[in-house]
Amino acid sequence: MEATDEAETSVETVEFEASEIEYASYGGEHHLPLIMRLVDEELSEPYSIFTYRYFVYLWPHLSFLAFHRGKCVGTVVCKMGEHRNTFRGYIAMLVVLKPYRGKGIATELVTRSIKVMMESGCEEVTLEAEVTNKGALALYGRLGFIRAKRLFRYYLNGVDAFRLKLLFPRPEIHSSLAMMSTMNESHGQNDCMPSEESLLVEQSL
Amino acid sequence: MAEKGGVAGGRDVYVPINPSIPSGEQTVWADVSSLLEATCQDLRDGELIHGENFNLFAAMSALEIMDPKMDSGMVCRYYSVDEAIENGAAPVPLSFNRTVDVQCTIDIMDHLLACEATWHKGHSLAQTVFSCIYLLRLDRTSSHALLHSYCRIIRATCNAVVSVVSDARTHEEEDLFTMTYAPSSKKRVLEDIEPLQTDLDLEEGYCKALLCRLRFRKHFYHVLTCMRRPQGKGLELARKHIASCLSELDCILKSSEFVRGNPACGNCGDGIEDRTTASGCQPIGFDASLNSRLSAPTPPRSIRILGWKKAIEYFQKLLHDLDIICSYSLDPSLEGVLHFVVEFQKFQPDLVARAHLQLLLVQDGKLYGRDPVFAVISKAAALPDITKNHDLQKNETVIQLGQLVISLLKILCTNAAWQRRKLGKILQDWRVIYVQLELAFRKEFADISSSSIDENVCMKISKHILIWVEEQTYWIASRFLVLGFELELYSPHEYCMVYWYIYVILIKLAEKTHLKMLKSNDTVKRKGKKKRDSPKDVARDYQIPPKVLFLQCHIYLAEGLTMMLAALKNEHKVFQSLGPFNTEHERFFQHFELLQKACIPDNISYVSFEESTMHARLSTLVMYNCFKDAQRIAKDLRSSFSNDPDRMAELRRIEQVAEHNGVALNLICRLGTLDPSLKVYFEFSHHPCFATAVVKRS
Repeated sequence: MEATDEAETSVETVEFEASEIEYASYGGEHHLPLIMRLVDEELSEPYSIFTYRYFVYLWPHLSFLAFHRGKCVGTVVCKMGEHRNTFRGYIAMLVVLKPYRGKGIATELVTRSIKVMMESGCEEVTLEAEVTNKGALALYGRLGFIRAKRLFRYYLNGVDAFRLKLLFPRPEIHSSLAMMSTMNESHGQNDCMPSEESLLVEQSL
Repeated sequence: MAEKGGVAGGRDVYVPINPSIPSGEQTVWADVSSLLEATCQDLRDGELIHGENFNLFAAMSALEIMDPKMDSGMVCRYYSVDEAIENGAAPVPLSFNRTVDVQCTIDIMDHLLACEATWHKGHSLAQTVFSCIYLLRLDRTSSHALLHSYCRIIRATCNAVVSVVSDARTHEEEDLFTMTYAPSSKKRVLEDIEPLQTDLDLEEGYCKALLCRLRFRKHFYHVLTCMRRPQGKGLELARKHIASCLSELDCILKSSEFVRGNPACGNCGDGIEDRTTASGCQPIGFDASLNSRLSAPTPPRSIRILGWKKAIEYFQKLLHDLDIICSYSLDPSLEGVLHFVVEFQKFQPDLVARAHLQLLLVQDGKLYGRDPVFAVISKAAALPDITKNHDLQKNETVIQLGQLVISLLKILCTNAAWQRRKLGKILQDWRVIYVQLELAFRKEFADISSSSIDENVCMKISKHILIWVEEQTYWIASRFLVLGFELELYSPHEYCMVYWYIYVILIKLAEKTHLKMLKSNDTVKRKGKKKRDSPKDVARDYQIPPKVLFLQCHIYLAEGLTMMLAALKNEHKVFQSLGPFNTEHERFFQHFELLQKACIPDNISYVSFEESTMHARLSTLVMYNCFKDAQRIAKDLRSSFSNDPDRMAELRRIEQVAEHNGVALNLICRLGTLDPSLKVYFEFSHHPCFATAVVKRS
């Protein structure tokens, strides 16, 4: 669906420390108007209230809000489910108010959501982003998403989109490829892959 | 029954029939406000009514009724076309002042051109061309000769374009394009004209302005009908009409000064760039919102009609692209067709041009509607002549192969994004058909005594076709990978693995191409073999065919880039792929999953990539030689391709990439450690696929 352009910063930025931002998981009906207001203001697609309710009602633990001194300045809305034999997460909306961009709030919101998806057993995470949204592409690129497909004229203004996908490490890939390598290349290495745990570096944000 | 009942919360609710809205044959309107209110009171905060099939799509398609952002049914201005007409939105004539009438007619023509271009670019017919009330009620214009004939030709042209695009039927773009409602237009003779309008000074200018617009439409319509003629028989004539179109467009552009300078429609102000007419004035008789109900259930969207100048540019480009198609020599060799299509796509043609190309290439399951697929394959695989009438073409697997070829041609005519996805999907099909062909040939040729050809020939046919299928498969794989650059699917930290995979694929492609050429040369040589030829002479005189050497250039570039990127990562920690959730391994798997699944090629994995690149060091000369070798071969090949401008251009690009990368490599080596102020970038300044390294001090 959509994400705000991270790189866009208006003349008026708000000065704050990263530690001043508080993050909360979707806590109930009182959070819904905050999310809706943010998304309605910043993103171009008109979403009905049903769309919001659909996400936060069914997957409240996947949506997060960012607050600065009590004001809601950012949000991420997601879902997850079975899709063609894959259990996958989907990032539907990501918004950060303009004066607060460029400081890692979006990254933190998305990271929290992805962690929950991973812990819930998702195999991959996906979303769409405009090809012109350099900020979003950079953000997701840093998190390990690849541009899996280009979608021609996906948005109504004629702009193409990328389908971004993050694949979590799976034991099958590693072991099947390790098997292939021992079968086809005689290099005497049994376990070519470092352990998965050591690769999942915690980001301090 | 005067009332209907409803139930909410177990209580009966009174639902009156609404008499103020007339009931239809099978419909009756009832006021359900009280029912809704009662239901709302029953629901808890945040509770959604949802059934099992109330999924995301249902949620997003749901409307908030009477919210103008969502509800297409919300009346903007007029409830219907008829109401608009009743309120004078589309007067006929446009004005009783004939000068104004002519000017307004020109504005309508211009705006329709802009609408048409907007439609071609992917918006719905309903919101573009058919936002014209005059077009929707064509008969009303019959008293106005100019407007009437212009509208008729627009409808005929739109029909022709819709027909081409539907026949090409690729569904790569939303079917908005083909949603139309155009009853066939009746023929009428254009009446004899009197002077257009009463101001003699302006008459010539107006005549010129109108004539070029009308002539453009006529020639454009002829372009479309000529190009539809089977087997490319109308292409030459189409070219003549294209030339006329372009010349009329020039006249239209020239007329804009006259049209703009005219006070007939008042001062239209500045900002001419976005205006949809040459005069800059708003045209009479257009309302895009009238059809919005027909575009439901999507929320109402206002679209921007292309500016007039941009519309002209669009048509100039379209005509340029159509002209290239019309100039095509209908090369009977499959290789020639593939090469043509790939080169044509570099112009980034739009849907209308691509649909025309596809229909030219594939008609009635034959190439150009003329050459049966089996004949095309026989030639491509260099099969001996004897196969021409052989029963082999009736073999089910061979027929399937033919279908794969046809399907491939269609795919290559789609837009790059769609094309890449489709190419990825068919890799498996081409792999499978190879295996099936092997089995089929064994069965087919098992009973030699009953066939009319001997064992040797059977073996030859089998080998030739299989080699050719492999070559095609690797060609498809290489296109799949290379298109990723054009579509910007790869980030810089993925370039290394991508070039590595391209390297691996191209080596296989070159191998199969070479093998195929050797086999067919063998056949040729055997025919003309003189007794005096000694094996030594043959070996000494043998030169690698230029086509294979051409591939070798790309192989060297791919290798050079792989190693340079790997060395930079190993030694200078540049382009490392970090991320908290996964590793390079996952990304490798994702990018190359389709290739790996189809075993293209066999025995290739992330481990092989790691092992090939982990020891790369900048100082290793082998990298240096890669770029130098590419340069050397490219230079030598100039003489072999002197008649081929496309390949000559590619050789030049190869040389530039090789040279610049060689220099950059040299520089980085000399500098030793890259101090933090030095940055290495990879840009596509000399070639769309093979990057050039740039060293900059930031």
